[in-house]
Amino acid sequence: MAFVLTFLLRRLAQGVIVVFLVSFLIFTLLRLIPGDPVRMMLGTNVSEVTLERKAKELGLRDPIPVQYANYLYNFIQGDLGQSYLLGESGGAAPTAQNKQGGQISAEAEIARDAESKTTRASVFKLIGDGLPYTLQLAGLGLLFTFMVALPLGISGGLKPEKWQARLAFFTGSLLISLPNFWLALVLILLISSNANLLPSIGYKGFAYTLLPAIVLAVELVPVIIRGLSVSIASSTQQGFVDGGIVRGLPWSRIVWRHVIRNASIPMLNMFGVQIGGLLLGGVFVTEYIFDYPGVGKLTIQAVLQRDFPIIQGVAILAAGVLVLVNILVDLVATYIDRRLKY
Amino acid sequence: MAAETASADIPARAMRGETMTRRMFRQARSMRGFQIGLGIFLVLLLAAVVLPEATSLSVTKISVKERFLPPFFLEGGSLAHLAGTDQLGRDLLMRSLIGLRNALGISAASVILMFVLGAGLGIISGYWGRWVDTILMRFTDAQLSVPLIVLAITILGVTRPNFGTIIAVLVLSGWPIYARVARSVTLAERQREYVRGAKILGASDIRVMLVMIAPNVLPPIAFVAVLDVARMMIFEALFGFIGIGVQPPTPTFGNIIADGTKYIVNYWWIPTMPGLLLIVALLSINMMGSALERARNKIFAGI
Repeated sequence: MAFVLTFLLRRLAQGVIVVFLVSFLIFTLLRLIPGDPVRMMLGTNVSEVTLERKAKELGLRDPIPVQYANYLYNFIQGDLGQSYLLGESGGAAPTAQNKQGGQISAEAEIARDAESKTTRASVFKLIGDGLPYTLQLAGLGLLFTFMVALPLGISGGLKPEKWQARLAFFTGSLLISLPNFWLALVLILLISSNANLLPSIGYKGFAYTLLPAIVLAVELVPVIIRGLSVSIASSTQQGFVDGGIVRGLPWSRIVWRHVIRNASIPMLNMFGVQIGGLLLGGVFVTEYIFDYPGVGKLTIQAVLQRDFPIIQGVAILAAGVLVLVNILVDLVATYIDRRLKY
Repeated sequence: MAAETASADIPARAMRGETMTRRMFRQARSMRGFQIGLGIFLVLLLAAVVLPEATSLSVTKISVKERFLPPFFLEGGSLAHLAGTDQLGRDLLMRSLIGLRNALGISAASVILMFVLGAGLGIISGYWGRWVDTILMRFTDAQLSVPLIVLAITILGVTRPNFGTIIAVLVLSGWPIYARVARSVTLAERQREYVRGAKILGASDIRVMLVMIAPNVLPPIAFVAVLDVARMMIFEALFGFIGIGVQPPTPTFGNIIADGTKYIVNYWWIPTMPGLLLIVALLSINMMGSALERARNKIFAGI
């Protein structure tokens, strides 16, 4: 037990460093790249003076290390900051609305600023609102993925020279060649619009998760099939399979208790490194295309509108999740294969 | 000739004086999937290079009279426009072929660059170890947890997206994987006898890395990199679709499909036909890539 604890502590400490590194990289990148968030917030009609005042108020004119230190200070207290653009009610904050209005007097602008400060949504809440939807989509996508990839990958790995392997190979090659946004378009056209079988755009109930989850699964299935069939095939070549046959074990027992168990270690590692990232990227794109109200859509919009606090918050969340998944993967791997060291 | 046919039957067996890389190539070439993939790919490549130059159809000229023509197999379609025309009367096949040309150029360039950068840093990191290794690996950790798409929109959303910036973004997000793999193989290779022998004979570190480790370590990684060419093509198309790719009127798969989305209900072929061509191209590359990968596995692990 003590081993597990030291392992956990060490990995968590390393993980915290990675998360900070990610947040710092994203933080710096956002500020180095042109594109002024204050311009986005206030529209094009405000005076240069107001613009600068607002930027100073948000701390955007401080040196980057100072800004980052402030951000970290708030972050440690559990405050991820407030969105630049989104209001408490989910819509755009009042400041964004004067884009169409004419030149407004400085007093009116100041009043508006004061008003907007109280109504801008906290990043914590925005992410919290989207997270359940995203988790639902990711979970369902993974479920679909396993339903298709496990049988194909395992049978393909067990019979490398037979039709099963060929089926796995061609399914994998075909699915990995489908661009997710194109597939989403075609599915919306065929299933949603023409056949009226499943709803697709937005979210008004569980059925709206199905099509995005399918698109997500199509992206993941080929990766799992490939990894699984390779690791199963290499594990059937090892001595313990012959040993099992000599001992007179039934084939099914050899496969289930020995081959798959041994093959699951490289799979788990792949799951941590590759699937985590793929799932994350896939969720972002599918949510954006299907207008699905999760964290992914929130992020893509935030990036397009230079809404720094949201991007930073999501980056920290994503890095944290990936770090945790990888720790979990290593824990499970040592549980399955006791020879592995923590 | 006789020796040639004999060896084709047992491709996994080594011929005398043959390098590992040659053997893997020979193994891959004997696979059906590789042959089909290569065939399709060559045809598409030839079409993408030659057809848009040879045809009289313009890819940017607007022709109102000919807009919304369906593909040839539908009623109202003609053989002059095999895949039909778009909302401005431009030939879809020619536009898609130019898109293919752009996509291939961008993805091939970015994979080569990320391979050189990633594998180079990986070998240095694995060979030197110590603090270089620690810093580089934590850096890849951090970068691998930032989704490519976020990085891409952040950078391409404000800079003017062109071939250079798109390739830069792809390289920036792709190099860590190569660095990781190259590093882990180098770690194993560094302890081999031949490296120690060379060091005793007075070979410099640079020499050991470039002349001994790199030729051993890189070819297997390069085999799998072929699959990444297809992956980068998908990303390039995705960028175009979101509006952060190469800008119109230069045709890319992404912006053709994005422009056509508005017309999908009545003129379904505008967004779908370019997608089909993209899929065929990706399929051919992936078939070659998977064959190369399986050949590598067969030679190294016997599976």
